[in-house]
Amino acid sequence: MFDYNFHWRPVMKSLPDLLEAALLTLQVAVLAMALGIVIGLALALIRLHMRGPLLWLASSWVELARNTPALFQLFFFGFGLGAFGLHLSPYMIVLVGLTFNCAGYLAENFRGGFQAVPDTQLRASRSLGMTAWQAYTRIVIPQVLRIVYHPITNQMVWAVLMSSLGMLVGFRELSGETQFFASRTFRIFEYFAVTAVIYYVIVKLILLGSRLLATRLFRY
Amino acid sequence: MEPTVSFFSGFTPNDLLFLGEAALRTLWISVLSISIGTVLGVAFGWILFEGKWAAALTIAPVLDIFRSVPLIIQLVLFYNFAPIIGLNFGPFASGVVILTVYTAALVANVARGGIEAVDTPMRRAARSLGMSYWQDLRHVVLPIGGRAVFPAWVGVALGVMKDSALVSVLGYVELLKASQILMTRTQEPFLILSIAGAFYFALSYPISRYAAFLEKRWIQ
Amino acid sequence: MLKRFAVIAALMSVSATTGIADTLDDVVNRGTLRCGVVLDFPPIGYRDANNEPAGFDVEYCNDLAAALEVEAEVLPVTWAERLPVIVTGRADVVFGATSDSLARARTVGFTIPYAIYYAQGVVNADSGITSFDDIRGKRVAAAIGTVPEQEWLKIAAEWGEENLYQGYQSENEVFLAVAQGKADIGITTNTAVLPITQQYDSVLAGPRMPWTTDYTSVVGKRQDVTWLNYLNLFVTHQVRSGRYDALWGKYVGGDAPELRIPGVMY
Repeated sequence: MFDYNFHWRPVMKSLPDLLEAALLTLQVAVLAMALGIVIGLALALIRLHMRGPLLWLASSWVELARNTPALFQLFFFGFGLGAFGLHLSPYMIVLVGLTFNCAGYLAENFRGGFQAVPDTQLRASRSLGMTAWQAYTRIVIPQVLRIVYHPITNQMVWAVLMSSLGMLVGFRELSGETQFFASRTFRIFEYFAVTAVIYYVIVKLILLGSRLLATRLFRY
Repeated sequence: MEPTVSFFSGFTPNDLLFLGEAALRTLWISVLSISIGTVLGVAFGWILFEGKWAAALTIAPVLDIFRSVPLIIQLVLFYNFAPIIGLNFGPFASGVVILTVYTAALVANVARGGIEAVDTPMRRAARSLGMSYWQDLRHVVLPIGGRAVFPAWVGVALGVMKDSALVSVLGYVELLKASQILMTRTQEPFLILSIAGAFYFALSYPISRYAAFLEKRWIQ
Repeated sequence: MLKRFAVIAALMSVSATTGIADTLDDVVNRGTLRCGVVLDFPPIGYRDANNEPAGFDVEYCNDLAAALEVEAEVLPVTWAERLPVIVTGRADVVFGATSDSLARARTVGFTIPYAIYYAQGVVNADSGITSFDDIRGKRVAAAIGTVPEQEWLKIAAEWGEENLYQGYQSENEVFLAVAQGKADIGITTNTAVLPITQQYDSVLAGPRMPWTTDYTSVVGKRQDVTWLNYLNLFVTHQVRSGRYDALWGKYVGGDAPELRIPGVMY
């Protein structure tokens, strides 16, 4: 019944390449998160304060990002846009797809965060002579950040995990690189087992880093 | 001399039926995995809550693995590992197994949160009224804790429904795989992706809106 | 849960091969033949207008099943999956235009060649590629886990152009990428060139690739020599009965190439 020999040697030989690809995974996830936070913030503010076509656009973005599979979104940014002659490289497909998705999810978190900060605080700071910009950046946003800190960490983990879909659109990040090597040696199980461990370590490092950062940021 | 058969054909109404059947398969694999996974997850959540350090040392880290490794890697690993240990699991069975465990891992945390959301004094009161431990769980913890985490559970369920798209990598012809097949045959990626996206959206959007509506009503 | 992992760990430490595989007996006994076939490789394997498997390789699977008097079950696989399905025992045999490289033969067993191809490009009409040297500086696409990919990456490494390579999951995605202009040239096999160029106005036949002819074999479990013997016999019978010529004419067109390797006894 047990008619299979495990070969670990080729995997160990390509471990340096896999680790290098893991850095690419991290890079695209971090970039997508950074962009996602900025865009998500904008989407949340639009949905809270604006009317008209901008609101419609922001709402469509958020709902589409949240109600369709991430893999579908990547396909769309790949071959879907390609039908109109818009060509993104595999790296850009993943970056744009991840950003689109993260921005949509973060926007909802931010909206919840803004709604949790009472309006009275904004009015109080204005009556103390702050400009609207000052009131926002000094009073409201720091509180919102504290509320959404945990969801942002989760989204960061999710971005790393989701970047693995890059292998299906030809991007050689950690999963894509693993698939590439596995397709040459046919040792799918062995390669993906090692890759699973690498992902696990990355996720744990992110959670640890986030916890350390939180103790510094939220001392008061 | 030319070959006597043609290899590509355009999009026909018949293909819409093909997509519809595939959408039903997406629904079926999701419903199956979410129901079994939820039952398992609630059980795990209860163990996590009651088991204290014993659970923290045993099932908690195992469940954690399923949340820290990309689902696509889990699927590829299990699909390639099952035949090695003599399990003849096809794409559907492999997909159900992994999606179920994945759901259970996510629901476990939600369920524990739900149990924790019920104040200890209230549970003590229930017990002092003469309720047994199980009566307390059934009549106090389930309705109160369940309401508190219902939106989170809907989020998990919708997430799993969307993530079921990943079973396509094993060759199970669900909605996304069906659109890939049609895309390669008809070479009309934009049209087909739009239809598939609309299907997913139609499955997910109403449920997420209804959950948000319920959440609002319960808060009042 | 932990217990299960302990069992798995124990199983993994055992590396002895137990029992002798006998696929032939298994297939006859089971009553079904499980064939791995690549279905995004027209005209060798594709899906017809009803989305059912069709093509040269699918017919070969049906013929083999008929010879064994069992039911044929087509298991659609990607290029990258076609050998692992043999290693893990998910399929009994693979008809998947598999080149019989020595590297692969360390993992799976090959029959005598059952079809012969050579590698050729399909180019985007705007790419301006007419000869092999024109490919310098252009975006090249191929399917992951194929010989064209590996051979191309060797050349790309010499040219320092590995960053211009795009690997796709399937041959059809390669064609789509070339048609849409995401890639300038897609490397495929000569048999696919005609249907692809007929399908897309934006795709033209490209140059032939400089590496050697692709002798492709039927794939079975490496350890199971009696099964490979049976498959060898099947391949020769397909030729002797005229089935090979007929199917080649139906799907590819023209005369079927002679399955003979010059200057060597196979």
